[in-house]
Amino acid sequence: MSFAERVDAALHDPLLKTAIDRATGTAQAKRAAAIAAFPSFEPARRRAAAIKDHVIANLGAYLAAFEANAQAAGAAVHWARTADEACAIVIDICKKADAKRVARSKSMLGEEIGLPHALEAADITRVETDLAEHIIQLAHERPSHIIWPALHKTREQVADLFRASHRSPQNEDTIPAMAASARRQLREDMLSADVGISGANFLIADTGAVCTVTNEGNAELSLVPPRVHIVTAGIEKVVPSMRHATHLLRLLARSATGAALTQYTTFYAGPRRPGDREGPEEMHIVLVDNGRTRMRDEGLAEMLRCIRCGACMNHCVVFRQIGGHAYGGTYPGPMGAVLTPALDGLAGAKDLPNACTLNGKCREVCPVDIPLPTLLRGWREKSWREGLEPVTMRRGLGLWAWAAKRPALYRLGTRVAIAALRRFGRRGWIARLPLASGWTDGRDFPRPEAGSFMARYRKGER
Amino acid sequence: MSARDAILGKLGPARPIADLTAQADALIGHAERPLLDGDTIDLFLAQLDQPSIAATHDAVDTLGDLPAAVTRYLDANVGARALYLPPDPQLLDLDWQSVTTLHSCPVDDGAVLAIARAGVAETGSLIFETAPVAPMLPNFLALHHLVVLHRAHVVRWLEDALLPAGPQPRAHYWVTGVSGTTDIEGQYVRGAHGPRFLHVILVG
Amino acid sequence: MSAPRVALFVTCLVDLIRPRIGFAALRALEAAGCEVIVPYAQTCCGQPALNSGDRATAADLARRNIAMLDGYDQVVVPSGSCGATIRAHYPEILADDPEWLPRAEELAGRTWEILAYLDEVRGWRPDTALDATAVYHDSCSGLRELGVKRQPRRLLAGVEGLTLKPLDGEETCCGFGGTFCVKYPAISDAITTEKAAAIEASEADLLLAGDLGCLMNMAGKLHRRGARTRAFHTIELLAGMGDGPAIGEEA
Repeated sequence: MSFAERVDAALHDPLLKTAIDRATGTAQAKRAAAIAAFPSFEPARRRAAAIKDHVIANLGAYLAAFEANAQAAGAAVHWARTADEACAIVIDICKKADAKRVARSKSMLGEEIGLPHALEAADITRVETDLAEHIIQLAHERPSHIIWPALHKTREQVADLFRASHRSPQNEDTIPAMAASARRQLREDMLSADVGISGANFLIADTGAVCTVTNEGNAELSLVPPRVHIVTAGIEKVVPSMRHATHLLRLLARSATGAALTQYTTFYAGPRRPGDREGPEEMHIVLVDNGRTRMRDEGLAEMLRCIRCGACMNHCVVFRQIGGHAYGGTYPGPMGAVLTPALDGLAGAKDLPNACTLNGKCREVCPVDIPLPTLLRGWREKSWREGLEPVTMRRGLGLWAWAAKRPALYRLGTRVAIAALRRFGRRGWIARLPLASGWTDGRDFPRPEAGSFMARYRKGER
Repeated sequence: MSARDAILGKLGPARPIADLTAQADALIGHAERPLLDGDTIDLFLAQLDQPSIAATHDAVDTLGDLPAAVTRYLDANVGARALYLPPDPQLLDLDWQSVTTLHSCPVDDGAVLAIARAGVAETGSLIFETAPVAPMLPNFLALHHLVVLHRAHVVRWLEDALLPAGPQPRAHYWVTGVSGTTDIEGQYVRGAHGPRFLHVILVG
Repeated sequence: MSAPRVALFVTCLVDLIRPRIGFAALRALEAAGCEVIVPYAQTCCGQPALNSGDRATAADLARRNIAMLDGYDQVVVPSGSCGATIRAHYPEILADDPEWLPRAEELAGRTWEILAYLDEVRGWRPDTALDATAVYHDSCSGLRELGVKRQPRRLLAGVEGLTLKPLDGEETCCGFGGTFCVKYPAISDAITTEKAAAIEASEADLLLAGDLGCLMNMAGKLHRRGARTRAFHTIELLAGMGDGPAIGEEA
């Protein structure tokens, strides 16, 4: 499906709109309350941006430090240039561990590198343990939001999915009963998994620890019982120390859900120690580039600040109409519109940076002050330079630009345009405009006054 | 070329980490924090009452009074006077006559007890570390998570509870409320995967 | 103190669709003690090129406008988005042009959105009355790129008889977005529909804003929905022209 087709489908789905409004409306209200209780949030987010910029400018040094400290804690560190390399490393570790079943704790990087598919292709049973990801897995769909991957599913749809697949499904279709059914089902799956796979919210350079955050507690239940814990993490996730992580954690949950922190914030440093009665025998950390070094070098370094909170999409007027699937990539919303062309190629994703009003709300709410509108403009420029924009658009703009540099001619053009437009209108409004039906399909167009400002001003009108 | 060398090569020559430390420290000095006005213990208890944290709390004078407080909680909320205790001598040495202590953790119900290293007034967080005497899994498996916290260990800010750099416990974790989810139609449900109930017993 | 020489950059949209806004700007600026000049060579700030990714054309138009607007004490624009193009984006567009960058920055430093200029620079207050209730929509570029928020409200507080009511989502984009509304009309229309519903729910007589593009979009939607809300550029009210035809009304 093309972007236009996906948008059309989304705009004609009233259930989707209700779901988006509920999720993003709550998120907006809760974030606003959290920030009201944090009056220095504005300098705090500028500091967060400066911390991330410092790390990104010195990424090699921090990755090397993280690697050394993680190894000292007993973890194995792997490096992957591409998504395929990353998946191959994970599959290889699973095979060496003779893994039949893996429990996965929600990770957007895992989605980005196609890990769910790679595990299936390798005949390894994958259990998604985040409730929303579990729903998505049962529905064979993709996440539609980075914080609420299943926000587009109704309770009825979830009830049907659970009844069809759970060993002891809910007796009644209330949401608490469904959550309890998932708890029963997934608990057994997590405790019997051979490998637990997580992402990382932060990699702490000076301790070698990996931080995950969840509200459900599924990460801990997925990562402690299995024999092997595998972390896949983008290389931009490293921070210098726990204090830096703490500052970013303060902003992360507030921006995402309005909470001060998520319920569970856990730092893992290596496998089971002597005397421990629990914990994985092996811990592997896969550091994934997948285009990040290129983004750093090619004008998208600021995007590497992103801590995946979802605030930009919660506050985006476009996302709030079309939802996440319409974006067609791993990441939706404004951050997705910047990332998807970098990850999947601009030619197939050129609509994303263009389908944006550049209203700047996303940057205003971003906890790391990413200049998303500027980065989206950057993609528009690349798209223009590479000739990806439609010919009619290029010609129209070219003609207009040519005239705009020639004031006398431009005045003439204005006169002609006013005369033409006025012919379509009656009593102040134009209800149908050829060539601009996109406007007049949904709204009227004001009929121009007789005579342009410049013409009337020149005639002495004041 | 290995993937490691290729990635680090693209990132360019790395400055020694020691050279970066001062810069990194300067970036985090006097970091902004949320508003926090009042007595540390009062603030901590008020945070526990927040709907998103939803923890109950009790207080005892000494660790010796703990079994009685635990029994009170179990009678009122669990029904069965049974409890999993981690193999921590501080706890095992107490008089648990009134309670059946379990040697393995209940998997989807029941109660566990654990000692928190610190409580944080800023967020209502409880800070735990793993050790041979302090496994973490039970604290996620049981339905009721009972937490012992010394009053003197309640600190004001998250930073006050951080471990110094250097060798770390295998895992340390901040618990900020009961397990919850809003994944189905945005409706909040407690006890998604982790404990549905969190009970803090302040000692001292 | 002598009157500042102010260049009025009316914007292509005002020139084409609603000259009244230009005349209102003229009137208000003169009332605020400015000597107003309307440079004849002005056409467009280049925003359509900038937002379409045609940076070369945007840079061409930027250079052209920088030269044209040379020498005035201030440049005043009755639009947050066109004002932001000159003030915020010309220096960005010409960042790699050592000859033009200083000139772009110099122009940026003396270019003002009209409501911010009248309030902050001139400290002017209107001397007019209009018996009506109104809501104010904060157009995005003015709000987020130029910090226009309290200025229009302070100025409107000086219009006798006018009551400003709160508007739910007053800082939420109306869905116009320049070329966005013609490239992605269905998304734009959905956003605008929500905006119109919020405006109607306010039951205000008037919709006010500082950008004609947004106003045309919202007013066009309100009219299509049969709403009775009338839309004006804020400067029209401040200049005492609020008793005239609203957007989409014949004189």
